[in-house]
Amino acid sequence: MIETGHHRRRVEERLEDPAFRAEYERTRRELDQVNAIMRSLDDLRISAGLSKADLAREIGRNDAVVRRLFTAQVNPELRTVTALANALDAELQIVPRRRKQSSKTQRTAPAGA
Amino acid sequence: MAGRESWDVIYYQDADGRSPVDEFLDLCPTKVAAQLIAVLDDVAEAPPPRYSGGGRWEAMHGAMAGFYEVRAQGPNREQFRLFCVLENGSSEELARRGLSRPAIAVIAGLRKPWMTGFSDRDYASVRRHGDDHRNQVPRRIKE
Repeated sequence: MIETGHHRRRVEERLEDPAFRAEYERTRRELDQVNAIMRSLDDLRISAGLSKADLAREIGRNDAVVRRLFTAQVNPELRTVTALANALDAELQIVPRRRKQSSKTQRTAPAGA
Repeated sequence: MAGRESWDVIYYQDADGRSPVDEFLDLCPTKVAAQLIAVLDDVAEAPPPRYSGGGRWEAMHGAMAGFYEVRAQGPNREQFRLFCVLENGSSEELARRGLSRPAIAVIAGLRKPWMTGFSDRDYASVRRHGDDHRNQVPRRIKE
């Protein structure tokens, strides 16, 4: 078999650069969020017993569009994603991450609090 | 078809031993290289037909059918692309190609200014590398 570790070694080398690591990790988090939304929609579709063609009809789109969307072959547009969520009786939400107490809150906190 | 375990990421190497992918990534701004590589790793960890790539991995059409592109945007909205093909099939077929498991084969990279397109010659160059890659049995990759 051919030795296939070149990419992994190059990534490990590059991750030693803090700027590369920060952007790599930021991008992975961003991708994870889009992936999670699309996989959740597909899980809801399966739970509802709908084929991709059924779902496409529900939102008035060509079934090839929905098929390509769920197999990551096209960039999902927010409008289409929202339409899919509506058709599956779901909705998209933005949930703020829990953060440490912000510096603004710390500045305005009463003394001794 | 192989199972759903993660795939390898391999880089095409030409007959002179050059890796167009390494050369391209070395010339990309650090943040752009990080984004492109993050997408490759994301797709390799949850390979097709599972949803992955977060919208930055797209199947190409027309003359480039069979290729997938990874997209990133750099300073001044400059556009960066990696062009890939999938190495998938039965374990016997993969072994014939010298691969122990399915892989994303990264063939080449290109960059272009915002709101411009790649030329037919650019795409032909990518296809020529892709054809060369697929004609090599076992595959000739960067080791």
